[in-house]
Amino acid sequence: MKQDRREFIKKSSCALGMAAIATQVEHFGLMSALAQKTDDGMDFNPPSDYRALVCVFMAGGNDGNNTVIPNHSDASLSNYQSYAAARSAQGLALAQNTLLPISVPRMNNLTYGLNPNLGILPPSGTTIINNGIHELWAQGKMAIATNVGTLVAPMTRAQYQNGSIRRPFQLFSHSDQVSQYQGGRADTPVYTGWGGRVSDLRTAPDNPGGLIPMITSINGAQLFTAGNTTLPLAIASATTPLAQVLNPQGFNTTAASQARLAAFNQLRTQDLGANYIKAASHITDQAMIANQALGSNPQEVTVPFPTTTIGNQLKQVARIIKKRGDLAVNRQIFYVQIGSFDTHNNQIAGQGNLLAQFSQAVRSFNDEMIAQGASNNVTLFSMSDFSRTLNPAGVGAIVGSDHAWANHMFIIGGAVNGGNFYGVNTSNGTPYPTLTMNGPDDADSGSGARGRWIPTTSVEQYAATLARWYGLPEADMQTVFPNYNNFLGNTNLGFMQP
Amino acid sequence: MMSVKSLLWRQILSAYCVIFLAAFSVSAQQDPNPDSLTPILISEPDSLRALANAPDKFGSGNFSKIKNRAFEPNSKVVLYVTNLDLMADEGANAFRVNVEDAQGRHYRFPVLDIQRLNGQEWIYALTVELRDILGFHTQTAAEGDVLVSVAWRGLASNRLRLGFGATGGTIKDDTGAAPSPFPKTPIKTSVNSEPPNAVGYLYSGDRTRFLEQATFGPTPALDERIRRIGLRIWLEEQFNAQYPTNPYPDFPLMPSTAPPDCNGNNTPPDPPDVPATCSRDRYTMYPVQNWFFKEAFYGNAQLKHRVAWALGQFWVISGVDTQQSSYMVAYHQLLSKNAFGNYRTLMNDITLNPGMGNYLDMVRSTRNNPNENFAREILQLFNIGLFMLNQDGTLQLDNNNQPIPTYDQETVNNFTKVFTGWQLCETTGASCPNRTPGAPNYKDPMLLNQNNHNVQAKTLLDYPNAVNKNIAANLNGNVEMQLALDNIFYHPNVAPFVSRILIQHLVTSDPTPAYVGRVAGVFNNNGSGVRGDLKAVVRQILLDPEARGNVKTDPNYGKLREPVQLATNLLRHFGVRSANPGTSQSDGYINPQVSSMGQNTFYSPTVFNFYSPDYVVPGPGLNGPEFNILTTGTAINRTNFVNTMVYSQIAGGSTNAPLGTSINLAEMQALAAADTTSNRLLDTLNTKMMHGTMTAQNKATIMTAVQALPSTDPLGRARAAIYLIATSSQYQVQR
Repeated sequence: MKQDRREFIKKSSCALGMAAIATQVEHFGLMSALAQKTDDGMDFNPPSDYRALVCVFMAGGNDGNNTVIPNHSDASLSNYQSYAAARSAQGLALAQNTLLPISVPRMNNLTYGLNPNLGILPPSGTTIINNGIHELWAQGKMAIATNVGTLVAPMTRAQYQNGSIRRPFQLFSHSDQVSQYQGGRADTPVYTGWGGRVSDLRTAPDNPGGLIPMITSINGAQLFTAGNTTLPLAIASATTPLAQVLNPQGFNTTAASQARLAAFNQLRTQDLGANYIKAASHITDQAMIANQALGSNPQEVTVPFPTTTIGNQLKQVARIIKKRGDLAVNRQIFYVQIGSFDTHNNQIAGQGNLLAQFSQAVRSFNDEMIAQGASNNVTLFSMSDFSRTLNPAGVGAIVGSDHAWANHMFIIGGAVNGGNFYGVNTSNGTPYPTLTMNGPDDADSGSGARGRWIPTTSVEQYAATLARWYGLPEADMQTVFPNYNNFLGNTNLGFMQP
Repeated sequence: MMSVKSLLWRQILSAYCVIFLAAFSVSAQQDPNPDSLTPILISEPDSLRALANAPDKFGSGNFSKIKNRAFEPNSKVVLYVTNLDLMADEGANAFRVNVEDAQGRHYRFPVLDIQRLNGQEWIYALTVELRDILGFHTQTAAEGDVLVSVAWRGLASNRLRLGFGATGGTIKDDTGAAPSPFPKTPIKTSVNSEPPNAVGYLYSGDRTRFLEQATFGPTPALDERIRRIGLRIWLEEQFNAQYPTNPYPDFPLMPSTAPPDCNGNNTPPDPPDVPATCSRDRYTMYPVQNWFFKEAFYGNAQLKHRVAWALGQFWVISGVDTQQSSYMVAYHQLLSKNAFGNYRTLMNDITLNPGMGNYLDMVRSTRNNPNENFAREILQLFNIGLFMLNQDGTLQLDNNNQPIPTYDQETVNNFTKVFTGWQLCETTGASCPNRTPGAPNYKDPMLLNQNNHNVQAKTLLDYPNAVNKNIAANLNGNVEMQLALDNIFYHPNVAPFVSRILIQHLVTSDPTPAYVGRVAGVFNNNGSGVRGDLKAVVRQILLDPEARGNVKTDPNYGKLREPVQLATNLLRHFGVRSANPGTSQSDGYINPQVSSMGQNTFYSPTVFNFYSPDYVVPGPGLNGPEFNILTTGTAINRTNFVNTMVYSQIAGGSTNAPLGTSINLAEMQALAAADTTSNRLLDTLNTKMMHGTMTAQNKATIMTAVQALPSTDPLGRARAAIYLIATSSQYQVQR
């Protein structure tokens, strides 16, 4: 994958669909970095394999308490009875015989249960096209990181209460907690995401000559994908073919049309002293370059995907992964999103439906990666704003729950050490929290406590485990995760194979 | 605040009396020249280095001795600026010092103080701290010259070098830069005024800019109206204009579960829907969207429509949850009714609105099962935000330089209790006039069920001289709600918080603190002692000197047109009408196009709106809310929207688009036909779309493409020119 400057310029000017315009190329952060390096006569040593991270963001705050549930009666830990005691009166407890059992070595091989919508579903309502993700646990392809959340530094309940350790700012607020998850930092607002910062550091060494940015979002601009020097590719989901997602319409091969296209491109090299104009032009430039690369040699997936929003997003990711050779990328980060997890009401049906969509789409993606022979190269992981209060909001059919904190995350793929819980132990000596309001893991206190678990594993520890597998060197961890040093000693949770 | 405003005009009057009188002589209108002076940053003699010294040397008078020195990071430096004319109260926070380093990264240094030089009052000394406050980039290594410039009211000074840690380095001076040495006498630059070629408000560039800010796009008719009567009289006309011009959609309230004859049953045999469009019109936002765009295209009360749209983008409810069009209409009626009313009434009306009650769960929040959704967002998103603000919108900082939270979870819990016990208006009788048996009443204000209300004592927002911080136990829930809304309304954050968001929606994404402060001042007191007078707030936003002027040159000025504005602006430039031959009005069905650009109107994805007011544009590190939805994908969709409208149309003749939408290019075609050089075409489009900001370079680029078409194809030439302008970033960013 070595590439010289001339070849690079040739590729990028082709991509612009016009004769070489070096001025145009000049203001792409990504491109100029590459051109600079080749100019210095340096050879690239890009990785010989392909790796991709796929972030599935469960927007709105997925209720972890109804996603991964104790399914045992061991009295030394929170068991099904303690869960049911907190939720059944209001109608928010899932029946024990509906839970999908998983055996957890880390929990003394006790049985836990997944939400029933994560497995085989009755053939009614939405079209069911596979068996869901539950099976992947036993296959060792799915791990769960437990009690993960935003932290500035490790923090006990006492430290939370007495304020001796700094809390993440604006706990329980959607926008801020999303920003902290995606930004990889909880002590101060940041303008870039940890995915974007990985891209800033790894684009030049890993994807020399890449024809699209390292990061792709199938769900618009997101903090996670924003870097200082690199921009994400953001495109529509699979309902639009890749050849169309970035194609400016209305041009043909006549001289007049080509002259108009040239002028369209030329205008973006002008007035760059005005910062909003420059920013808008830069984004269109990225689109025009990527369009050329995406438009050729179309690839289609072979595994059926559900036609849900999340299904169509993951299908588009799978198409791009199938084209990775054409796109000259060795490392890629993807962002997709499934929304409406903010279940203040109607949670049993609402969350159930969303988890079913999640499970169906993720299983299709998993199977497609196997079909592409890329299963060991692609790791999918979940994030969400926060979990929800153990104490329900409302009662009966409309019952829901409110904003809380620590949550459980899925990691899925062939390179995952699946079939186990991962994370730093809570006060009960296991990584699964004690489900007691005003108990040892509750951020709330007093009689009105509602069960908002204090995380024992930070977003940074979770993300660094993923980023390390992706190839981010240890020396760069603190650049990407500014509070990394607060978590030293526990920065590899172990859910990824080396 | 009236006094400040009149001072503003008096000062401008005295500064430009000659120009003003010239305008006065041909008309009786009252708007003076809107153009502020362009600041000049003073250089060392014969050099492109800024004249600068340490604050303790400030005013020593011996400027010839300051030469070629470097300044340490975080130290304070005095820069010298001339060609200014400040209003009373206009101080350091009206200025920004923009900095670029050799790597092209952008920073902003805080301006701490501004003073006139004794005996040389035409020189202003700006004390600046050499510390980045944008925080986007890691601060530049202090190892060489950076370029600095001063911006004021959207106008940028020349850029000069400043030694940052050291002098020298690799940064290049701007092309054409020239020394601007210390002037021994006042500089008298004339402002960029236009020839008196017409009566009334003769600043054609500013007329167009004003209409971009106050309406859904300039039209020839509106331009003519303002040229005749000026901005202030036009504003008064708009404040009193009847709204809406097109009646609101009016569909009945329906059951939450759609009945089989309104597409509630898809399993065969599915009974036919009555009428066939029942589901679309009653259970989706389709009629609201079409009404909204028709009103934007053709409505007379443009300003009210625009302000209501802005209000609805931070007081958000969404069709994602609020499924019936009748709910959204009831909600929008409150936005428009209060758009020029008092903000406190708006707070009250929306709090009691059942659509909001449903969207943020207040309608099901009870004493025993409280829900904190509305309680949190009425603080965070609608009124005060997360951190204590100064009156100019900047963050207050504590002793450790950290922002100060406005409230904590305990406060949210208390407000949650305040808002318990409300339910839909379902009692028979006069209090619920829209009650429809079998359908939930999402039109009439919610009613209190005191039995479900939490009557504990509450502790609400605390702030200096806090109003109603403590609420006693055992009060009626309605009384308590009013006390709590006052507790919020009198919080000092409300004025700067609301002012900044409205400025961002109407004028510019990153206003100076001074501008925010002037508007917040009017919010706090409209001049007659009234707080929250939105009419006065809107007037101040639009007439402020940072909004007005023919051309803005500050590189950080302006805003990306949101998809709604891009679409309506383009269509209104060229006589928006039904599909070709366009003998009637458009049906307003353009939401599919606008949605593809990232703004599915009335279906905001979350309560955070389509974009965040705090979104920071990667690269420059500036606030740019609308950039939150500008991606590679939507950027191309914006381009393709222009292509559709300029080269084709949205066809009519379908169920959803009975009439279609097109633009009328006859006038532009005639211009291209009459002048085969196409100069007149481009000059006209420059005025119409770019308010005269098209550079010679832009024009040459566009001209090449226009002339690639034969002069026998004047429509093709007009289309090429309009396509290139409308797709250019220079147009997509409203400046």
